[in-house]
Amino acid sequence: MKKIATYNIKGGVGKTSAAVNLSYIAAQSGYKTLIWDLDPQGASSYYFRVKPKVKGGSKALIAGKRDLDGLIKATDFENLDLLPADFSFRNLDLVLDAQKKPTQRLKKLLAPLTKEYDFIILDCPPNISLLSEAVFEASDILLSPIIPTTLSLRTLDQLKKYIKDNKLKHIQLIPFFSMADRRKKMHREIMSTLVEKHPDILEAAIPYASDIERMGWERMPLGGYVNKGRSIEAYQALWQEILQVI
Amino acid sequence: MATTQLATYLFILFSNRYLELSVLSYYCHITDQLRVYYGNNLGDTPRFNLSILSNMTVIPLHFVLPENLTAGKLLKKLSKKLDFQIVTQQYTIKTFYDSFDWRLYNADMVCEFNHSQIESQLNLLDRKSGALIAAENMQDIPAFSEDFPKGRLKKYLAKSLEMRALLPVSHLQYEAYRLNILNKDKKTVLRIQIDEYELLVNHIRLLPLKGYEKAARRVSEFLQEALELKPAENAVLNIALKLQGRKVKDYSSRLEIKLKPKMRADEASIIIYRQLLKSIQANEAGTIANIDTEFLHDFRVAVRRTRSGLSQIKDTLPATVVSQHAGFFSWLGQITGLTRDLDVYLLSFKEYKEAIPISLREDISPLYDFLKQKQSLAQKELVDKLESSEYRQQLTAWERYLKEPLPKKGKETHANSSVKELADQRIWKVYKRILKEGEAIKESSPAEALHDLRKTCKKLRYLMEFFQSLYTEKDMKASLKALKGFQTVLGDFQDYEIQEVNIKQFSEEMMVNNVPANTLLAMGVLVQHLDKMKCKARNDFAKQFAAFNKVENQSAFKMLFSNKA
Repeated sequence: MKKIATYNIKGGVGKTSAAVNLSYIAAQSGYKTLIWDLDPQGASSYYFRVKPKVKGGSKALIAGKRDLDGLIKATDFENLDLLPADFSFRNLDLVLDAQKKPTQRLKKLLAPLTKEYDFIILDCPPNISLLSEAVFEASDILLSPIIPTTLSLRTLDQLKKYIKDNKLKHIQLIPFFSMADRRKKMHREIMSTLVEKHPDILEAAIPYASDIERMGWERMPLGGYVNKGRSIEAYQALWQEILQVI
Repeated sequence: MATTQLATYLFILFSNRYLELSVLSYYCHITDQLRVYYGNNLGDTPRFNLSILSNMTVIPLHFVLPENLTAGKLLKKLSKKLDFQIVTQQYTIKTFYDSFDWRLYNADMVCEFNHSQIESQLNLLDRKSGALIAAENMQDIPAFSEDFPKGRLKKYLAKSLEMRALLPVSHLQYEAYRLNILNKDKKTVLRIQIDEYELLVNHIRLLPLKGYEKAARRVSEFLQEALELKPAENAVLNIALKLQGRKVKDYSSRLEIKLKPKMRADEASIIIYRQLLKSIQANEAGTIANIDTEFLHDFRVAVRRTRSGLSQIKDTLPATVVSQHAGFFSWLGQITGLTRDLDVYLLSFKEYKEAIPISLREDISPLYDFLKQKQSLAQKELVDKLESSEYRQQLTAWERYLKEPLPKKGKETHANSSVKELADQRIWKVYKRILKEGEAIKESSPAEALHDLRKTCKKLRYLMEFFQSLYTEKDMKASLKALKGFQTVLGDFQDYEIQEVNIKQFSEEMMVNNVPANTLLAMGVLVQHLDKMKCKARNDFAKQFAAFNKVENQSAFKMLFSNKA
């Protein structure tokens, strides 16, 4: 069982797309997979057509009053379940703060589910907060999408420093390029310089593509409405590479 | 033999009536639009339950349709109430699989292979809840769990089946309709499968999705109230078997003989022999076809029990009859021995391999090939004998004798006594003999003494099994358990000793074929391992005998079988 968090300090970098599409591919290849939508915007819940509603909201959830298993919803796809978001997740930081050992909380909540699933994918909201600290504690892998821009270099450095400073040795950081536009000269250049500085960046890159953007309209993972093409192949290659490095 | 051929052969072999498997035409209807909508997810099996608990009440999820209600008509009715999409409609053949002795069924599982043009999937289901335990897409079904692809399915099959082959039990043909029930967001909240069978009434199954149990409850209520459907009482497997004139668990290697205490002893012994003959006959075809090792094993056990009965249930049947047939069963024991021994080596091979150092593990492979070759020769000879007219005639003569009516008054000493009386006397006598033989065994006693004791224990075991129904189940179980534990150590001692001797013998035979030196070295290590295990069993003997001989067991045996108690 591996817990993978899709995470970046920056927003709008393709975290949810990665979480949704990778969990779909994992499930399709036979792994029992759970995706946990921790973002109050509820984008991954939306993509799977699941109501972004959790009974009792973030308070009941974090307090452990509700069995996590009872909140899980089956998606339309075999082997793939979803733990939906709730609008109250915007207060997750506050709710966590009221707990003893707040950073251990998510790990504890997830413990009973680790037997049921082969992969648990946490779709996280951006920025570094108490919630992200709890996510770091709970995860084995931090999968970080990076748009090839100069700012991304900074956020990746920040993240690496944070992991080092906080001695998060259990965590494996896996960065990959996301929303990469090979038509843009700048993207190409940054990609080649970044790879030199950060050899741990995966080879597979997710392109900036209209069929990925269509996910919001189709309300399902890419694989649900596209059989082949550059985008789906990119996600598949990404997943294969992740399997190899973990 | 190829798996498919084997499957067909066995299917014909084991079903009294089988559904015709003529050339089948497959067809399916899926609109392109649906294919796009569901992407690669077509034909996946959702997790489901036959009934789920909701608000403390059980919701039925599996219904039978009235005879005139076709899938088409039902869909029309459903469309008035529900928003759904037909995902697939396909002609499917369902084949149920299990081992000959129903190991999956006994472990509360059902294994079904659903084959259609777009899907070919083996499902392992929980028999009681209908929940999907494991599934695998596959075209051919291997006979043995070890030949399955690595994964959950293999794990579960291996655990229950062990060395037994997976055999087709029954076939059904049907048109399968799969629907998704959608909510306002077009999210699937329930899956439904309608099975339109050719030979039985149609079925509808609700396959609830996690987190959407309410939808399942609502639809279940709708089916019961508005459409007046009745929950299905029998599993499809049972109905399918009934069509063939069969029942589940129609074979078990366990003896279940029902006797009444007042029954005449000769009458009871005839009942016992008939049951054993049935077991011999049931395992004959599988032994000849060499489907798996357990057919021969069960065949031999039934032969051995018959022999033991003839010698131990004394003075009930006429002496002439006993002497006429005892020779035949002893011959059967002999001709089946070699094949069984070789089967045991092959079954233990994995254990053998693990017993030798990793650096030598691959070197022992020639022994496997040697054993395999020897086994197939022995098997061939065995088949010749089991297909001989001599075998056929003798078995028929025995069968004929068992069908003859009993004389009004038996001539033998114990023929007319009550079976309970005879059982008490025999069991008590053999039990006392075990204690006597066991107590006489000291550390220095020769191996033969243990072998003799092992044989006596077997006699007791068989007697207790023959007459089990005459005693309270609980008491009998406890006594049998004590005996079984003790028998294991004696059995181990004997098995390791014979294996040790034979492996040495094999190495000499293999030398002639110029096997590599390392193979012989590996076999040497194996012999050492077997010797170690044999010594361990010998050392355990005193402890195990003391456990068997403890006061509680003694008084339990006395209570049960000694009239003096």
